[in-house]
Amino acid sequence: MNAAAPPAQTVLVGEFVTLRPLTVADAEMTHRWRHDDRARHLNRAAPTVADQANWIAARPPAEYNFIIELKTGEPVGMVALLEIDHANRRAEAGRFLIGEAQAARGVPAAVEAMKLIYELAFDTLNLERIHGLIGADNHLMLKWQTFLGMKEEGRLRRHYFKDEVFTDAVALGLLASEYHAVARPRMMALVAAGRAAGGAR
Amino acid sequence: MAGEDQVLAIVLRALENLNAELEDGQQVPVMSTTPLFGADAELDSLALVSVIVDVEAGLAEVFGRPFGLMDDQAMEREISPFTSVQTLVDYIGELLAQAA
Repeated sequence: MNAAAPPAQTVLVGEFVTLRPLTVADAEMTHRWRHDDRARHLNRAAPTVADQANWIAARPPAEYNFIIELKTGEPVGMVALLEIDHANRRAEAGRFLIGEAQAARGVPAAVEAMKLIYELAFDTLNLERIHGLIGADNHLMLKWQTFLGMKEEGRLRRHYFKDEVFTDAVALGLLASEYHAVARPRMMALVAAGRAAGGAR
Repeated sequence: MAGEDQVLAIVLRALENLNAELEDGQQVPVMSTTPLFGADAELDSLALVSVIVDVEAGLAEVFGRPFGLMDDQAMEREISPFTSVQTLVDYIGELLAQAA
């Protein structure tokens, strides 16, 4: 296992994006992202910027909460690794949102951000399993995660209640062996597709 | 190219499926000239995966065998097959010709 820096000091550097720690200074931007239509499938967002700042300040020190930045320094999204259980060698990948859709077009920002999270989880922290919940109506994210190797492990009925509607959650999981056999090669292929197609770095 | 119209229809249907999941301001033009992935492109990597999955499924249904569009052959190209709808259609045509 490689040595891991504390979450608040961890910066993950890729070819197209860099993941840097989320800070209270990101409250206004992330509040805007969380209230955008693209975030309609996520949990209910903090009502105000002040609430968002308080939420960020209250993140447990063991969580990795990142802002996804393009190489220009432009922030385009967020992602996290949380509920890290070193005893059982598992964690949850979540809070994944591309907030600046236009800036991320044509750039493998989302896939490289996820690749960096998986490398942190499996290669640096030596975890065995990553899991997460996705709303059953979030078809694009379900298609994306299963293409990248996650397996459906169950369904939590009427798990979310948003806009007066209950929605099921799909429980997904990825084992270290599946990461190496499926997820990593496919993520590398998507990053290579962005490189060959001339995506901006 | 044998089946080019069929292949184009499959790719355009994948874009229509994608649009069904996107909001009005994010709609992708459903045309053979649509740039897909790379500079000045229409898709982010989530959307690209949606298109790949649906095109692979459509090809398997029409041509009766599995297709993998993200293999080494695709990735080794100087110009990505996913640059535009037309480059993707051309690439699939090459795969079909190799298999014939």
